[in-house]
Amino acid sequence: MREVNNALVEAQNLVKQVSSPEGTLTILDGVSLSIVAGEAVAVVGVSGSGKSTLLGLLAGLDTPTSGTVHLNGVDITELDEDGRAQVRADSVGFVFQSFQLLTSLTALENVMLPLELAGRSVPERDAKAELARVGLGERLHHYPSQLSGGEQQRVAIARAYVAKPRILFADEPTGNLDAQTSHHIVELLFSLNDEYNTTLVLVTHNPELGERCQRSFELEGGMLRGKA
Amino acid sequence: MKIWSIALRSLRREWRGGELRIVALALTIATTAVVSVASFGDRLHQTLARQGSELLGADLVVHVQAPPKSDWIVRADELGLRHARVESFRSVVVAGEYTQLAEIKAVENGYPLRGILRIADSLESIDRPANGVPDPGEVWVDAQLLTQLHLNIGDSVDLGKQRFKITRLLTLEPDRGGVAFTMAPRLMLNLEDLPATGLVQPGSLVHYHWLVAGSEQQIQVFKDWMLARGLLDTDLRDASNAQPRFRVALDRGESFLLLATLVSVLLAGIAIARSVRHYAQRQWDNAAVMRCFGARQNEITAIYVTQLLVLALAVSLLGAALGFLGQQVFVNILSGLVAGELPLPTWRPVALGVAVGVITVIGFGLPPLLRLKDVPPLRVIRRDLGVLPVRARLVYGIAFISFAVLVIWTAKQIGLILWVLGGTVATILVLSGVSLILIRLLARSRASVHVSWRFGIAAIARHARSSTSQIVALGIGIMAILLLTMVRADLWEQWQISLPPDTPNHFLINIQPDQLSEVESFFEQQGLVSRPLTPIVRARLISINGRTVDPEDYRDGFARRQVQRAANLSWAEELQPDNKVVQGKWWSSEQFKDGLLSVELGYAEALGLKLGDELVYRIGDKELSVAVSNYRTVAWDSFRPNFFLLVPPDLLTEFPSSYITSLYLPREQNAKIREIIERFPNITDIDVDALLGQVRRVLNKVNTALQFIFVFTLGAGLVVLWAALTATRSERRKEIAVLRALGARSADLRLGLIAEFVVLGSLAGSVGAFAAAVTGWGLSKFLFELPYEANIVMWFVGVLLAVLLVVSASYLAIRADLKTPPWQSLRESD
Ligand SMILES: Nc1ncnc2c1ncn2[C@@H]1O[C@H](COP(=O)(O)OP(=O)(O)OP(=O)(O)O)[C@@H](O)[C@H]1O
Ligand SMILES: [Mg+2]
Repeated sequence: MREVNNALVEAQNLVKQVSSPEGTLTILDGVSLSIVAGEAVAVVGVSGSGKSTLLGLLAGLDTPTSGTVHLNGVDITELDEDGRAQVRADSVGFVFQSFQLLTSLTALENVMLPLELAGRSVPERDAKAELARVGLGERLHHYPSQLSGGEQQRVAIARAYVAKPRILFADEPTGNLDAQTSHHIVELLFSLNDEYNTTLVLVTHNPELGERCQRSFELEGGMLRGKA
Repeated sequence: MKIWSIALRSLRREWRGGELRIVALALTIATTAVVSVASFGDRLHQTLARQGSELLGADLVVHVQAPPKSDWIVRADELGLRHARVESFRSVVVAGEYTQLAEIKAVENGYPLRGILRIADSLESIDRPANGVPDPGEVWVDAQLLTQLHLNIGDSVDLGKQRFKITRLLTLEPDRGGVAFTMAPRLMLNLEDLPATGLVQPGSLVHYHWLVAGSEQQIQVFKDWMLARGLLDTDLRDASNAQPRFRVALDRGESFLLLATLVSVLLAGIAIARSVRHYAQRQWDNAAVMRCFGARQNEITAIYVTQLLVLALAVSLLGAALGFLGQQVFVNILSGLVAGELPLPTWRPVALGVAVGVITVIGFGLPPLLRLKDVPPLRVIRRDLGVLPVRARLVYGIAFISFAVLVIWTAKQIGLILWVLGGTVATILVLSGVSLILIRLLARSRASVHVSWRFGIAAIARHARSSTSQIVALGIGIMAILLLTMVRADLWEQWQISLPPDTPNHFLINIQPDQLSEVESFFEQQGLVSRPLTPIVRARLISINGRTVDPEDYRDGFARRQVQRAANLSWAEELQPDNKVVQGKWWSSEQFKDGLLSVELGYAEALGLKLGDELVYRIGDKELSVAVSNYRTVAWDSFRPNFFLLVPPDLLTEFPSSYITSLYLPREQNAKIREIIERFPNITDIDVDALLGQVRRVLNKVNTALQFIFVFTLGAGLVVLWAALTATRSERRKEIAVLRALGARSADLRLGLIAEFVVLGSLAGSVGAFAAAVTGWGLSKFLFELPYEANIVMWFVGVLLAVLLVVSASYLAIRADLKTPPWQSLRESD
């Protein structure tokens, strides 16, 4: 076991409940875990087991009903929405299953966004370089609707890495792609992970992706099964 | 059957989606407005027709050169119409040593058929409605005749071969009014007494009026029957051609009311167009799935068209019902205009409202739904596959055509049609062009501003096409609102200016040249403000281009009456402000002695005069030859002395003239008029106070109705805004969530959004204000024929209003999304 204070992500006793017409629904029921810097971990489990919900909480995109999440040593459950935004801007990147590119922005503008939000200078040069790295140097001014699913996901990966985050969260990054394209995306994710020493937290059903990770957590009915 | 149930089921499900509710709300507003206004117009017309009838004393007056023929009377009785004969002529009335020329009116029992005759027992007592007409052997006279003959009620007068006893003072005859300034004092007697006076001989100049009254249908049947027997339209007077002053004011009011309604419909149409387009986009998946499971293209079309039509019909009916109920408001507005019960509303407005609703929905909403059949079934697998967006030209084209159909159908005036259509097209074009240019310019400036503004501006620039359509929609909304508030206020003010509180309510005529200084000093003494004294020379037309004039040559009744009697010639150096030369030229100072004639347009048309025609008049024992040099239009509703015929100022100096003037006198100072008439017995007073009051009341009511309709227009404008916001809301939610996931602070997001809305609002506001100014100018110049002053305040108000409206409404709509955890928004956006 690693020292707790070495952890980059540290979740304690996370509970997430939502109210539904049938009463209160518990999606996550006391999940605790910790992830160290530079690690690549997979979150697996059957559909509906709460993987996406967990990822949202770890990344500070959602708030738990109870429990705490420390990101980079900061208790993000104590922060307000803007505080969490600041943490995200500084050290977190995302890749989503459905890409979540802004349809009104070109590929380049999408990639520039995190840099602009963090107030970095010359965002354009870095964004172009990052797009070239994912193999889309020729498609800078295309809109998402003009790109294939795999290409869109590559733009999303460029966007996720461009601000050099310490940790990258990805929710089924290959879920919408064919095997061949998935393979490329997996390669890309891990090569960038190597290059920047970024911590990776992946939700996936893809065995290839799971195998590439050092560890995996399995969720079942909102609880962690025996840890790997 | 299958299609029917799918359409209905999906309609019920999608009702919760939001867009269809906007369609329904917009449509409700439009149809309610149309039905209310149409019913108001309907009732106002019926009310005024009745009022016009009161001013005629009948529903229909047959004015020909003989008493009614017996078969006319038989036909009228058959139709169950009431009728009464009136014969009038001029004659001298004698009372001892005094004589006076008077206008004699012999009336049959039953007169007046509409309106009331009012009488009093003495000069001092309060008047009351008369029950019937003078009994045989008795006469009623007006105050003027009584004063001039130095008589009292109860005295006797001689008329022709007969002596009569004066039993009542006449205070009001419903049918005595209008423009003629030649009215002498009045004496009224029973028609039965007329033969005994021996005054009516073959060849004597008698006006025969035959008054007829009954239901609208009966009157129409009778009118057609009379026209079929060779009578002319101009021989038959009814409420519609009585009282031109009323008509002008009223037509303006009605035009404006109609305009306001059309604007509401247009705004509703815009809201519908936007919402349906958004709805159609959301239906892509459903359409794709249905296609996947084997639905044919025309089945898809049928499902969505059915859905739209069901919605359109249901909501239009609802709106029509609301409008019909809303009529109560108008009943209140109209009450007090006429005595007795208001005429009942008809079903026509309801039918109109439903039709307008359905046409609006089809015209503005159908195009995007028609494209749903083109959704590729493959979209089920590849979600990024959509349909090509509907071409803007197609959407605007269909919407424009249907709007044009509505305008042409509802508006009777071609000028209004052209202005509304022209204004709309111009506005859309200008707005689109200007917005695109501004958006381009903005895109360039974005590097130099703060990051939040950059996001806001960038957002507008990046969504150039949807931003443009948003600006256009908002701009039209702003234009409509400004046009209706500001221009309405301007027009109303112009009405007030053209009818100020001191508008003359008395005309004094027949003032002799040697009395001028005396009369003027009397006015001064009494503190009366009168208009300048205007000269009149009475002249009889004897020939046109060398051809002797014979009344029998004129089929037109108005023209015949004009040539039968002496005309009033007046002179002027300059054109009065309420006159306008429409053809030919006004005289210059070198022409002041020339034999020229300026003719009122309608008069010239009735007599068939052309520019350059030589007219010879007899004045006393001299002759005067003049050539027609120009035609004028006259604003008769200005209540100033106006003349059909004018000559240059130095032409008539040799001829005997009299003068007329007009003055304003509050009701309670009427004694002063009596004093004037007593001092100058030859002067005649014409009291138009009642008529003036009536015109004012009608204008007031139309104005109130306008304010009421304005609420609808405002409502429709807000729905446009709501539709625009709803259409972009889901995309905005997603954008906000993604930006927040990437670390944007809410303050930055808020500032960015406000920046975007401020820019959008000011673009829409300034272009809308510009469009409103141009349209307002066009409307007042060409349609309402009123002077229009550009209103600078309007620009500021427009921009401010737009910014305020857009920012606050948008911000309220989006505020919740700024607080929702981004994860939830992203989950929902998938
Ligand atoms: N906001 C919400 N309201 C109601 N139920 C929710 C909400 N969010 C999640 N759930 C429910 O919680 C459970 C877990 O959802 P979650 O999306 O985390 O599952 P998942 O493991 O990611 O599944 P999948 O592999 O299918 O993506 C599901 O049953 C889901 O329906
Ligand atoms: Mg999931």
